[in-house]
Amino acid sequence: MSTTSSFNPWFMSPDEMMGHWQTFLNKLTAMPKVAAVAKNVKVGATPAKIVRREDIVSLMQYESDVEKRFETPLLFVFALVNRPYILDLRPNKSVIAHFVNKGFDTYNLDWGVPQAGDRHLGLKDYVLRYLDNTVDYIRQQTGQDKINLLGYCMGGTMTAIYAALRPEKVKNLILLTAPVDWSHKENLLSLWCDEKYLDIDKMLDVYGNAPPQWLQGSFLMLKPVQNLVEKYVNFWENMDNEKWLEDFFAMETWLNDNIPVAGEVFREFVKSMFQQNQLIKGELNVGGERVDLKQITQPILNLIAENDHLVPPNQSLTFNNAVGSTDRKTITFPAGHIGMAVGGKAHRDLWPEVCDWLAERSDPV
Amino acid sequence: MSTNSNPFFGADPFSRFWTDFMGKMSSAGIAPPQPTPDFLKDIRRTFFDAMAEQADQFMRSEMFLNMMKQGVESSLAWQQMMAQFMQKGLSAAQMPSKADTDYFVVLLRGMEDRIVNRLDDLASRVENLETNLSASKPKAVKA
Repeated sequence: MSTTSSFNPWFMSPDEMMGHWQTFLNKLTAMPKVAAVAKNVKVGATPAKIVRREDIVSLMQYESDVEKRFETPLLFVFALVNRPYILDLRPNKSVIAHFVNKGFDTYNLDWGVPQAGDRHLGLKDYVLRYLDNTVDYIRQQTGQDKINLLGYCMGGTMTAIYAALRPEKVKNLILLTAPVDWSHKENLLSLWCDEKYLDIDKMLDVYGNAPPQWLQGSFLMLKPVQNLVEKYVNFWENMDNEKWLEDFFAMETWLNDNIPVAGEVFREFVKSMFQQNQLIKGELNVGGERVDLKQITQPILNLIAENDHLVPPNQSLTFNNAVGSTDRKTITFPAGHIGMAVGGKAHRDLWPEVCDWLAERSDPV
Repeated sequence: MSTNSNPFFGADPFSRFWTDFMGKMSSAGIAPPQPTPDFLKDIRRTFFDAMAEQADQFMRSEMFLNMMKQGVESSLAWQQMMAQFMQKGLSAAQMPSKADTDYFVVLLRGMEDRIVNRLDDLASRVENLETNLSASKPKAVKA
């Protein structure tokens, strides 16, 4: 029996050892290139200008040479956790570019970075003040009575609340992995937010705002093996692939660009949504107004990520049955929570379809 | 000596993980002795999957959840104690503390709310007046 042909994972032939040594040396020589890519990483692909500011909130309008084809503008509303440039991360991974290139007048709302004094900002401030004022500004600037809204994650929940409270200002509503129903408690985040294990009042009394390190740590621990081990193994294997590194560092920049969440709105999300599930039950009150999802009669497109570990499909699926719309569609796509925004497959198959859906329902020029 | 005490309490999760890993290996048909270029990658994938599953189960366990709760509570208690200590020190030095600025922000927000509500009332009153005025205008023209 030949000793070289039979496989033995514990012993290597000299050739194999040399091969591994050569690979190791290749990785080492790639180090300066890795550092250069990390240093020059760029995020944000589409040119944009800030057209409005209110306190810490700013509104970006995207610029393009593409001829405007639709009168109805589109506003992206991101979550309060992390920064909104994930929607426009890199030239080949930009959700925003799809709509800009289709001829939509496109805006993106940046909630800004809450400071210690912003701890009192609640849903009332975010939805009925900042979002409403932004929508009014866009309506005024474009001369349109209604605008299109696309909300991502927590931003989707807020746009749904807004559409229920101010339906006369919304033309079409797209939700991207937006949680609305917390009756299912099987995902880790819901379990950790259970009042039995988390005293949110006590926490926010001490910290004021939800600390970014705490949020980041919680998100990492949802998939510890993937986030703390596999990611770095993949990094090691792709150290000599410049294209891969550019995407990796752009993604890492976003993942580590954590911001605090204003205390009051965080408290409302944990208590009213995660713990009491008030939104889908029609029991949520924002600024003294009851949020009735049946008031949403606009066309709805609900985008759900099949492998979402942050917002599992069952937290979004019930939305279409809770609204008063007759034109409603759900697309369940085989991707993760972030993959919906940056995944190659989503950019190839999903976003062109979403653009077409919106184009059919927007006023042409 | 109690028979219930287990000096190797860490062995249970490990043996569960190992059984799971080996089960996954055999069900995926990953077995020596014919190595393929992807053989080690397959082992690694299976190993990580098994690890991830065990980690997920552990983080759902009552033990982990209580540990997390205690950890958070201890950290909060420590932070609170430090904040109180600082507050006393700053107060003794006649300097404003974070609690003072928080109180100031609350006052400002209350004031802002009252002004905004008052403005909203005034706006609706003006709107009503304008409606009444426009409704009465044609009559005045006729007269």
